[in-house]
Amino acid sequence: MINRMKAVKLNGFSAWIGILALLMVAGVVAGLVVFARGLVVTNLTDLVPWGLWITMDISAIALSAGAFTFCAAVYLLGLKQFRPLARTATFIGLIGYSMAMLCLLLDIGRPERFWHGFVFWNTHSVLWEVTMCVGLYFTVLVMESLPILARWKLLRERYPVLVKRMEAPHHYAPYLAAAGLVLSLLHQSSLGATYGVIISRPIWYRPGLAVLFIASAIAGGLALTMLASILASRFNTLIELKDEIIDRAAVVLGWLLVVYLYLRFWDTFAMTYTYQPGRNEGFDVLVGGPLSFNFWAGEIFLGIVLPMLILLNRRLRTQPLLRLVAFICVVGGVVAYRWDTNMVGQLVVRGAFLSEEMVYYTSYLPSAVEIISAVGILSFGLLAFTLAVKYLRVVDHGPEISPV
Amino acid sequence: MNEKTVQRREFLKLVITSMASFAALRWLPRLRMPAAPLPKKDEPDGSHSWAMVIDQERCNGCGYCIKACQASNDCSPDITWSSLYQGDEVGGEPVYLPVACMHCSHAPCVSVCPVGASYYRADGIVMMDYDRCIGCRYCQIACPYDARSFNWDSFNEENPLVPEWGEPDVERRPRGVVEKCTFCSQKIDRGLARGLVPGVDQQATPACVQACPQQARIFGDLNDPDSLVSRALAENPSYRLLENLGTGPRIYYLPVDRLNEEQS
Repeated sequence: MINRMKAVKLNGFSAWIGILALLMVAGVVAGLVVFARGLVVTNLTDLVPWGLWITMDISAIALSAGAFTFCAAVYLLGLKQFRPLARTATFIGLIGYSMAMLCLLLDIGRPERFWHGFVFWNTHSVLWEVTMCVGLYFTVLVMESLPILARWKLLRERYPVLVKRMEAPHHYAPYLAAAGLVLSLLHQSSLGATYGVIISRPIWYRPGLAVLFIASAIAGGLALTMLASILASRFNTLIELKDEIIDRAAVVLGWLLVVYLYLRFWDTFAMTYTYQPGRNEGFDVLVGGPLSFNFWAGEIFLGIVLPMLILLNRRLRTQPLLRLVAFICVVGGVVAYRWDTNMVGQLVVRGAFLSEEMVYYTSYLPSAVEIISAVGILSFGLLAFTLAVKYLRVVDHGPEISPV
Repeated sequence: MNEKTVQRREFLKLVITSMASFAALRWLPRLRMPAAPLPKKDEPDGSHSWAMVIDQERCNGCGYCIKACQASNDCSPDITWSSLYQGDEVGGEPVYLPVACMHCSHAPCVSVCPVGASYYRADGIVMMDYDRCIGCRYCQIACPYDARSFNWDSFNEENPLVPEWGEPDVERRPRGVVEKCTFCSQKIDRGLARGLVPGVDQQATPACVQACPQQARIFGDLNDPDSLVSRALAENPSYRLLENLGTGPRIYYLPVDRLNEEQS
């Protein structure tokens, strides 16, 4: 009895859980308001129909890319040393895709018809392909996460038969990794193509977006996996972390950022070679207009250049704080990139009617309900990860738990 | 158990799995639902090809077309299927550009819809299936003409334009779906069933065309060389909006060239 009293005493952990739970409740209330009153409570308009939730949706999917990357590295390329990171990444992926689907549920006008994409196929639509891939990949993630959920001590003690069943999919890990790789490459790049195929918005209408989306997603996914691992071990001293595998993955991430910077630079500045109505105005919005701080500071300097320099320099990289900063920057940079991409095509309205050259601008700032529900979804993710670290030990570089 | 048996079993497993996956990939697409709704009994055949011609010389920007459209299609006051842009002055008078859904022959909205809720009718009209739409608004993102409106809120009030500007002859759309101009397909279909000619007989003609006091709008069948639209296009120079995008709009414009000629 005394022990139990002690357990509920306020400490850092329970305060953190309490705050997240409160934010989640606020998010649920905001979500119910959205369902009850409709999307009229948002600041979205017919000119800017995709806003904060869509940005959060595509960011969550991008940052979940660590799951397929690490699983492919471990189970297809045979880089066994990354296995602990693959476990963390897989669970982050499960949480990330859940968050993305919650965002979509809020965002679509008829949430009760979310299943239509699986039944009514329009094979010409990239968004249909994304819907199918996300649905299938979520299934893969659930299969991959069953052995992780089977690590819960309570479950292992009380229901060993169930745990045995849950551990079984681990035997098919290479097949799941292959399926995950195919599905992820498909929809991660198709999310870029979702914007890239839109002929009506010239700033989007280019082939580079699909490539950039997948490159940035892999970088962001690697960064978030390592960031989450390090933060978990900082707050929970019981967690054993192998620094050398993080260091090795950090170097890979550094070189990935070089590739990404090159692609981004080429893709962005090649737009200045010619003039196209709408596209060049969009470019100006990006590099000199309302999105310019986001672009230069968020995406390029903090998002790519700074972490690239830190991660590729051995002396800087080996300082734990700098390395942590680098990972945070990459994650933030990917989110900034998604926000900018989503906004830039909508802020520039191509007034095509009277003359080809006429272009006008609009603006968007999310409403309180949008922000509160988005924070709620984010808190859900953080809460799920915190509990998974504590009870499922998803961040654990020690010896493997022997199967039941 | 010797090793050979195990190998054989593994081999057989592999063969069966790959055959099964091949069969699945081969046959699964056939099990899918058709992308567009199955044609109903009264759905149009391909014998007509509807189009609209708007004469900018005649349009004086009165906006009757917009009001008649909102009344006839029972749109919420926030939503206009038909809209009007005012341009620079030519010969002392402003030029007006009325726009609506262009009913593109290669419509971006139809290609991008993830559930096939936007589709082509056989007579060329781009239609919405409101029961299938999930409200993702990708079609709004994709439409180069800003022709689509989303029902951000439900419309339960009385339509202020009824009955002055017309009587609604379609159901209201629910909250959370996208809607747009249908070329008043309900009038066309009901008119054809009664033996009327859309574009000639008022009851079978889109509301905006009926309402125009300047007769700036002409509607008719491109498949019929003697229809009003075919003749107007044969006799006058015309253009379409953003033709360079390859969307193939079904609304044609007669420009204000004649005004320029008078001046010179």
